[in-house]
Amino acid sequence: MRTVFFKNPIYVKSGFTIVGPKEADGNFGDCFDVVLKDDLWCEKSYEKCESKMHRDAITGAIFKAGLKKRDIDFMLAGDLINECAPTALAARNFPTAFFGLYNACSTFTEAVLLGSVLIDGGFAKNVTCSTSSHYSSAERQYRFPLELGNQRPPTAQWTVTGAGCTVLSAEKPKLFNYQVYEDDVIAVDKNLNVDEKTLEKYKKSVDKQKKVVNTDKSNIIKRNFSKQNNDYGAKPEYYVKIVGGTVGKVVDLGIDDESNMGAAMAPAAFDTLTTFFRDTNTTPNDYDGVFSGDLGRFGKQTLEYLMDREGLKLPNWYMDCGASYYLPEQKTFQGGSGAGCVNTAFNSYILKKLQKGELSKVIVVATGALLNKDTPLQKETIPGIAHLFSIEIEKP
Amino acid sequence: MEIFLNYLKVFAVGGFVCMLGQILINKTKMSSARILVLYMLVGVVLEVTGAFKYIKDFAHSGISIPIIGFGSNLAKGALEGMKEEGLMGAISGGLGAVAAGLTTAITCGFVFGLLSKSHSKKI
Amino acid sequence: MIERQEYQEYIKQNSPKSPMVRTLFAAFIVGGLICCIGEAIGDVLKVIFKTMSEKDVATWESCIMIFFGSTLTALGLYDKIGHFAGAGSIVPITGFANSIVSPAMEFNREGVFFGVCAKMFVIAGPIIVFGTVASFTVGLIGWFTTL
Repeated sequence: MRTVFFKNPIYVKSGFTIVGPKEADGNFGDCFDVVLKDDLWCEKSYEKCESKMHRDAITGAIFKAGLKKRDIDFMLAGDLINECAPTALAARNFPTAFFGLYNACSTFTEAVLLGSVLIDGGFAKNVTCSTSSHYSSAERQYRFPLELGNQRPPTAQWTVTGAGCTVLSAEKPKLFNYQVYEDDVIAVDKNLNVDEKTLEKYKKSVDKQKKVVNTDKSNIIKRNFSKQNNDYGAKPEYYVKIVGGTVGKVVDLGIDDESNMGAAMAPAAFDTLTTFFRDTNTTPNDYDGVFSGDLGRFGKQTLEYLMDREGLKLPNWYMDCGASYYLPEQKTFQGGSGAGCVNTAFNSYILKKLQKGELSKVIVVATGALLNKDTPLQKETIPGIAHLFSIEIEKP
Repeated sequence: MEIFLNYLKVFAVGGFVCMLGQILINKTKMSSARILVLYMLVGVVLEVTGAFKYIKDFAHSGISIPIIGFGSNLAKGALEGMKEEGLMGAISGGLGAVAAGLTTAITCGFVFGLLSKSHSKKI
Repeated sequence: MIERQEYQEYIKQNSPKSPMVRTLFAAFIVGGLICCIGEAIGDVLKVIFKTMSEKDVATWESCIMIFFGSTLTALGLYDKIGHFAGAGSIVPITGFANSIVSPAMEFNREGVFFGVCAKMFVIAGPIIVFGTVASFTVGLIGWFTTL
């Protein structure tokens, strides 16, 4: 059976997100913790920026959960760039056991499922699940140079510039969200497991960043730290817990257009959803939040069509994180995609709604298109995958 | 008046050539490299069949600024070299005819590649 | 589960398509304008250098256009033109310059040697290779026919 149910409650302690400027103009703009004002963030390359976002997202989430870096037993993390390089570069700053994961855009749900399994099995107490993606680094890896004057096809999606991290724990969170200060996020940990030279470099970069942050005219980050809807330090109204999930299988219906990923991923999402509903004996209407990952506007329409055919009509509150990520006038055509898409949407928008009790029973199914730059050239079709986890809230 | 008519011809032919390329992009989802290669080969064919000269007399830059002109230069250079120097001319004439353009492009690429970095996109 | 054939048919019919009229219009206008700019450069050259031969004018014209295309790329403007115009800015010789300069700029973070120089021909490589081979073939066939 591909659906797992956890015997012990697994609590979501905190979620922390860092996104780029374009994402902040989108629909979820108010919910993010940190917004960058440009997508290089004092770094020399987009990959380095992605790595830094990833590192600081994990640090921020750990502090927001009221923990120390030492308290984390396992880190599960991944991104889209070759051999998960930005993730690995970010992970060297933590004295923690590390799993590097890759499942394209569904890496986040994969990480949450595996983290829950680790906690449920009693192997860990606190686990971080994080992913990141960056438009500019993904674009040059999968598509064309940024400055090339070509038109994006109408089925194209926009890779989200963002990193997010969820802390899963076997314990209930004591406070809602601990206050996070910039100094906590942007700081050198004395117990880094890196050599002297890297440490020196790292210190320099932190100093540089602090200098920019301290000046009033900071053009590097816009903080949402003080925004009201963050509810720092409040007593929790509801506990958010992961109750189960379905592990996806690779589905390939022969779509070979690499600019139309929504069509390649929709059958995988359909397969995972039907399996989940069959195994749990539920229907889509039993959940007051149905979220898919980054199918895009056309992929969403395709999934609705597929579910209709099967007689499992998706409710009208079904939402695709990618399709809703950007406003239509931002000209992203199909909406957002990438490993950071469902992650940042979950850790900001969905998690906040859950913590306030506005949603009570939620399923999140994130989809991924498993291709690299060469497989379409070798006339291969694009397989898709989708992982699902389901969440419920609990009154204290 | 004559100069206006001249520019109108350039505009119409150049625009029409680009429009055909856009139809290819919309219908077949060809990438820009494929479009450029296809157009250059069209230029070679036009030159060999002799049609290029007539179009050029009519539209001037309208046909020579699109990459068709690059392809026709290649073919013309090879044919002229062949007439003057035989086989060796056939080998060296093609690239010789476009050497100026190619050198400019590569030098510009090198210099600007060193000087500036790609900018992040907003649209 | 839906059949493979049926699904592909559904996707083919329902995928969003490029708006034909708007893109064709944009390509026509921008492509025509770029060609007119080239023609204007040629006319100015003819006025300044009265003794210049027709062939030299054409060569200078395309060199200057290539330089303009490269400069616009380096300033980060060419991709915005391309986003609007599509083939209108790909097909002219400025598009060729753009396809050489843009990867060079993109990969300059990997250093001069394996970044700028090696990656410069990622997109323009096929054009140069096809062009060279085609011109050689044409010359060779021409040579055989005159034997």
